[in-house]
Amino acid sequence: MKMKCLRSLVWAAVAAVTLTGWSAQAAPIRIVTTLTDLADFARNVGGDHVEVFSLATGIEDTHGVPMKPSFLPRLNRADLLLLIGFGCEHAFLPALIEASKNPRIEYGHPGYVDCSQGIDPVGVPKSTDHSQGDVHPYGNPHYLLDPVLARTAVSNICAALVQNFPQYAADFTRNRDAYLAQLDAKIAAWEQAAAVLKGVKFVSYHEHWPYFAKRFGLDYIGTIELKPGIDPTPRHIEELVNEMKAQHVPIVVREPQFPEKVPALIAKQTGATLVKLPIMPGGVPHTGTYIEMMDYLIRTMVGAVAK
Amino acid sequence: MKALTRFGLAFALSAVAISVPAQETGEVQQLHQQLQEMKENFERVQKEQRAQIEALQKQLDALQRQQQAAVTPATSAPPATATAEQVQQLQDKVNEVVEAQKKILPGEFNPAIGVVGETIFSYHSRGADQTGSDRPGGFDAFQRSVELNVSGSVDPFAKAWVVANASADAQSGEANFGIEEAALETTSLPANLTLTAGRFFGEFGRLGYIHDHELPFVNRPLALDEYIGGESRTDGLQLNWLPPLNQFVSLTVGVGDSFGGDSPLANPGNYRVFSEANFWGRLSTYFDLTPDWQLEAGVSGLWNPNTDDRGGVNALTAANGDPMTEHERRLAGLDFKVSYVPLRNNEFRSLTWGTELLYSDNRYLVDPDNSLNPASPVPGLTGDEFNAGVGSLGLYSYVTYKWHRQWSGGFLFDWVQDPQNHDNQAFAYSPYLTWALSHWNQLRLQYTHTDHSAASGLPADDAVYLQWAWIIGAHSHGWTQR
Ligand SMILES: [Zn+2]
Ligand SMILES: [Zn+2]
Repeated sequence: MKMKCLRSLVWAAVAAVTLTGWSAQAAPIRIVTTLTDLADFARNVGGDHVEVFSLATGIEDTHGVPMKPSFLPRLNRADLLLLIGFGCEHAFLPALIEASKNPRIEYGHPGYVDCSQGIDPVGVPKSTDHSQGDVHPYGNPHYLLDPVLARTAVSNICAALVQNFPQYAADFTRNRDAYLAQLDAKIAAWEQAAAVLKGVKFVSYHEHWPYFAKRFGLDYIGTIELKPGIDPTPRHIEELVNEMKAQHVPIVVREPQFPEKVPALIAKQTGATLVKLPIMPGGVPHTGTYIEMMDYLIRTMVGAVAK
Repeated sequence: MKALTRFGLAFALSAVAISVPAQETGEVQQLHQQLQEMKENFERVQKEQRAQIEALQKQLDALQRQQQAAVTPATSAPPATATAEQVQQLQDKVNEVVEAQKKILPGEFNPAIGVVGETIFSYHSRGADQTGSDRPGGFDAFQRSVELNVSGSVDPFAKAWVVANASADAQSGEANFGIEEAALETTSLPANLTLTAGRFFGEFGRLGYIHDHELPFVNRPLALDEYIGGESRTDGLQLNWLPPLNQFVSLTVGVGDSFGGDSPLANPGNYRVFSEANFWGRLSTYFDLTPDWQLEAGVSGLWNPNTDDRGGVNALTAANGDPMTEHERRLAGLDFKVSYVPLRNNEFRSLTWGTELLYSDNRYLVDPDNSLNPASPVPGLTGDEFNAGVGSLGLYSYVTYKWHRQWSGGFLFDWVQDPQNHDNQAFAYSPYLTWALSHWNQLRLQYTHTDHSAASGLPADDAVYLQWAWIIGAHSHGWTQR
């Protein structure tokens, strides 16, 4: 009888310890991001408090992440949804949000975090009908390719985390400052390394690079695509080739999610160097983080100019 | 800034108000001029906003630089609060102006409005009497639909949409205006539930609730036409549940006054019991086979316990020629889709294999002496009547391969047994080629060969279709079209 009592007591004690241990270990904040840069920022700012899942793995097009039903359970339980904004994700995100049945991350709710807050878009279309294509409806959304604007996104993510989880405000702010310091040091290094890129002319497949070009002083001549999201016509290619020849454009950038054939042909016809550049972390090997990706971009462009 | 926008709008509106009498008196010239002025005014407002944004941005950049200089990254001392506040204020201002600019875009209108047009040019080798089609043989041009889509939020708890279709009547060519969908859907029910009410396409199978112009081919598969009766339109209620699992599972149940081909009910009667409603359900799930390969599978059921003589009393014909009346509708479906959607370049390359198998098991009252026919001298039971079930199968399977951003092609195989007589069956083979210039402008060429069984008495026929579909205004990349 005594033995039994003792055993029950031990069990109760074990249970109590386990339970208190359990409750002290709060469940992590669940963050879903559309693209991998935002996931990297969220991990850096959120630290141990967050569990981050990115819809894109890094090799997708920023406008064309497949709508997988397997995303829905993730989105359904998410506390925060981080997105690029400016309509960048309009081809997949609105439908996913709707199907995920999670009011926390709907537009207008605190869990819906548009990281473009505070960024002035370039290339806002003069007319908004579909004659301008539809993937850049509110201006160019590829601002993260400028690391100074990436700072703004990092701060936005921190602000959203603080707003939603004020109990960890001190940790988030400290993490943000540490990451921004790291980024600032890198920005200085990138600007220095990119000095040779000043005035260098280039074209790309999709209009990914206006912010990047502005930051590092490159001269962005045009795109292979007719309009964002609309494939080129033969006449557009011809005009682009003539323009490139006239202006002696030395670089053709191909983002890896676009087919190589047309950019390679244009490079061959104009004598330009064909360069493959990722548009988000994970786009090519060894670009797992945002900083690694920016390193890769600068290194590759500088290498192409040196040729 | 917002005040300026408002002023611009007010000015534009008053300009329109003033211009109305001008138009009435035929002063088109003046109207043109005023329009030009309005346009210029609008552009000026936009330009001013841009200039303001740029000026603010410059100030902001300068301040941020100042702040960065003041606080070296290494020291985590608090920044000069006054500067930080100034930066924040400027930041807020920039955001406000940017937001105001966004509001000018049509996408921000509530509700969102879009129009879909679809024209079918075709050539059929045989006349309508031999194909059972409602379109003539030979050459044909047919404005199949002009569809108006309107959608928006109702309040914080629901959204609603209306799809109105002015389709050409197959015979007269006159526009037939109808409401295809008009439904309200909750957005804030607890426990992962969504309730849809009104007129909508009930969730049965894979393509039953997809609009004609969004199908991967020109025509609706024969099995869906035979067993559902076109799009799965219903007037009713539908509840969808996403169970809180790591695995995606979707469960839908619904009840409605009609479903697909039987809307409106052939015989609503003057008093109805609950068992005369249609009940349906669907359970589906999804697997990532690899990052690039996907599998979706589902089972569906539709049951109408008492179809209330759908199609008319003794209007149907059994296999042996006896007249009969439908009194119960049962339909089951099994569907799957295997697709290759490469993460890296799915806009340029993809492969889809979709298949749906349907089993119709309707119950009929067979009346060999036709005594129940309302036209018989004394309509009534004479004792020869008996119940019979007819089990019929139907299937369609298609493969679509996309090899270019604008080009895709595929092959559709169709097989269906008549729901009243499973010996009467049809096969069809349709290769198709799609050229999508953009996702609002699409041409499709399709050839269809149809073989009917001997039981039908119909000869084989061939048809060529050229479908041209376009969208203007708001467009959605909806969940069902993924
Ligand atoms: Zn679109
Ligand atoms: Zn883009």
